[in-house]
Amino acid sequence: MPDLRVLLADSPGKRVLLLGNEAIARGILEVGVGVVTTYPGTPASEIGDSISEIAAEAGIYMEYSINEIVATEVAGGAANSGVRALTAMKHVGLNVASDFVMTLAYAGVRSGLVIVTADDPECYSSQNEQDNRFYALLANLPCLEPSDSQEAKDMTISAIEISEKLELPVILRTTTRVSHTRVPVVYGKFTKPVLKGEFLKDVKRLVMVPAHSRPKHPVLLKSMEKAKEISETSLYNKITREGKSGKISIISSSAAYNYAVEAADLLGLDVSLMKLGMTHPVPEKFIGKFLEKHEKIIVVEELEPYLELHVKAIAKDYAPNIEIYGKMGKQYFPRDGELSTRIVATGLAKVTGKKLPMNFEKINEKYAEVSRNLPSRPPILCAGCPHRASMYIMKKVGGEKAVYSTDIGCYALGAAPPLKTGDIMTCMGASIGTAQGISKATETPTFAIIGDSTFFHAGIPGLINAVYNNHKIIVTVLDNLTTAMTGHQPHPGTGWTGMHTPTEKIMIEKVAEGCGVKYVKVVNPFKIKEAETVLKEAMKHSGPSVIVFRAPCALMVVRQRRRKGAELLACKITDKCTNCMACVKLLGCPAIIFKEGKVSISETLCNACGLCASVCPYNAIECAKIG
Amino acid sequence: MKEFNMVLAGVGGQGILLAAEILGTAAVKEGLNVRVSEIHGMAQRGGAVVSTVRIGESVFAPTVLDGQANVLLGFEPFETLRNLKFASEKTLVIMSEERIPPTELTAKMMSYPSLKEVEEKIHSFTRKLIIVDAPMLSKKAGSLLTQNVVLLGASAATEKLPIKNESLIDAITELIPAKYLDVNVKAFKFGYEFVKKTMAKS
Repeated sequence: MPDLRVLLADSPGKRVLLLGNEAIARGILEVGVGVVTTYPGTPASEIGDSISEIAAEAGIYMEYSINEIVATEVAGGAANSGVRALTAMKHVGLNVASDFVMTLAYAGVRSGLVIVTADDPECYSSQNEQDNRFYALLANLPCLEPSDSQEAKDMTISAIEISEKLELPVILRTTTRVSHTRVPVVYGKFTKPVLKGEFLKDVKRLVMVPAHSRPKHPVLLKSMEKAKEISETSLYNKITREGKSGKISIISSSAAYNYAVEAADLLGLDVSLMKLGMTHPVPEKFIGKFLEKHEKIIVVEELEPYLELHVKAIAKDYAPNIEIYGKMGKQYFPRDGELSTRIVATGLAKVTGKKLPMNFEKINEKYAEVSRNLPSRPPILCAGCPHRASMYIMKKVGGEKAVYSTDIGCYALGAAPPLKTGDIMTCMGASIGTAQGISKATETPTFAIIGDSTFFHAGIPGLINAVYNNHKIIVTVLDNLTTAMTGHQPHPGTGWTGMHTPTEKIMIEKVAEGCGVKYVKVVNPFKIKEAETVLKEAMKHSGPSVIVFRAPCALMVVRQRRRKGAELLACKITDKCTNCMACVKLLGCPAIIFKEGKVSISETLCNACGLCASVCPYNAIECAKIG
Repeated sequence: MKEFNMVLAGVGGQGILLAAEILGTAAVKEGLNVRVSEIHGMAQRGGAVVSTVRIGESVFAPTVLDGQANVLLGFEPFETLRNLKFASEKTLVIMSEERIPPTELTAKMMSYPSLKEVEEKIHSFTRKLIIVDAPMLSKKAGSLLTQNVVLLGASAATEKLPIKNESLIDAITELIPAKYLDVNVKAFKFGYEFVKKTMAKS
């Protein structure tokens, strides 16, 4: 990680290698955004994280909000008080924020408001791969789609400008490959952020009761007509290449465009290329006239056929006989997963009848030979992770019979063997509500497993419902004192804000008590016997119970030790070991390995949590620190 | 040079992203066009991690096309094999000896295969293979955590990178905290010298 102060360099023209997300942070500084809010989520996290590091110095207010709808509300409130604002979230975060966004579109904003959504084709770090361009269509909001870091920065600035021109929030949609690819970015000038504004009272505009909303709907539709005019002349919508014969053309956007350019060159295709950067509303006339000049159009886009739908609708008016190829009807490109130069080249070859210059099938065959018996390496809980201890205890008490309703966070990795403490998982906070339905329907012991940050984000209403409707579930909050999976951001339970200032620490056990839960206990997951006793008691409790398993994230512990220069004494297997494999079968810790026919502990991987020593039936593991 | 493609593969926690960022930053220092793709979040937790560095005027896509890697830098033998689809007979594979057994292997009570077996599989794709004892060299430099920089030094020594050594050292100085700089510069040097010696022998 570079020193993020590189973002603060007041040197227009400087060329710096930035992630798409860092480039958005730079755009925030260049356009003078005053309020930045976020809830961390891969692949959007580094937008908020970068700003958090430099906010005080840049004179920006930044916060990690409790969830995405609150983040958008805070940003929306500021934008309606004369302060430019931006909120950033992962694609599914926009589902959470959508209730507010759909109606904010009616009320509009006075100062610029950008809503960044980072989509995740291929589900690298997500539970689905929804295409959020459809939110722009659904909400009637303009949408910009950068293809690289430079555009990510430039479009952040343009999004604020468009937002102010139309008095509407603007969606900036990235994807994993835009957010997480480093590209050289040329800096522009700074704009000093304005942090103080004025809230102008205007009931008809801002209070969305039916009598006010009804007339606002046609106003919104009219604004979108203006947005279409902006799109028609936007420099982000352009023809980047004119084909010689002018017969075939590719229309593309975002990361897909980059693959399309290289795939076309790989095949030596004579094509025109249209790149769309403002994809809602699409520039109807601009596209229409382009269609009139060509015989075949190939639409290359990731995920849903969003552009293809528009191009086909436009074709009906402008060029009804044109051939359009994409992913509707006959699929030339997949509708799932991320694209690649190979996938796009293969699709283009099919449409044009050109031969691929390389034999991918042969590479596949050869690769299949070397990779056939390769053991998989999925993400797993780190060595020393307290979640492993918590879920080991849960499994010991609940056994195979109990149902484990889990949630979004590192602990979702517990669904894999050997822990297998994840039977159902959907979205943030759903563990608690889902557990109630399962418990009601089956009368089986039901655990809800939820992390600290996720509990604050969306767990509390579910917990209140459990108390109110008396659902007998065991809510286990795995509190590792940070938002671990997304990069250790603070949350309401940490006592720190995004501005790096201390604040009230909200204790999960107090929240649970305040919600009316009668059985609330806090345990240390590494004190196995104690935790086990508490969990057994909770299972006997007649109503909902809350057990907070509290121990810091192993990665934070390791970093702290390193900073102090403290030596780490790895656990050791002694002569008493019988190779019974209990530690392997029960824990699945990556530091426990099999070497020369025997179980052994990797010195480089072990974080000395001592869990293996606690579970060894022969006391054959020595650990300097046993919890 | 039309384009240069490098694939860096290993296990989450091995410093792959930092190594890729150092390469990218060095390329920018030389005024080159570059794309560095990364994987963050859940995938990083002890899982297989791949990062790609692409340099060249006509480079747009963030990822490398199958069979088109100029250099495959493997931080771990299994992960090197897992990414051989990016290799062809033209590819130079630089691989660390650091073996990290996946939990699946342990659960099946299987030992890690010998380096010889791994080597044979790589040879079915390319004969150009350099194996680097990164654990030993990093330890000698002062920290096992510098294996990524050892491997960068090793890559630089092959003279396959379109980047000068000075730019790489500049990028290391810029991206690595001052208090760890000495060990890392040493690590780079050890990796570099190790490969120079290996190449002189062969």
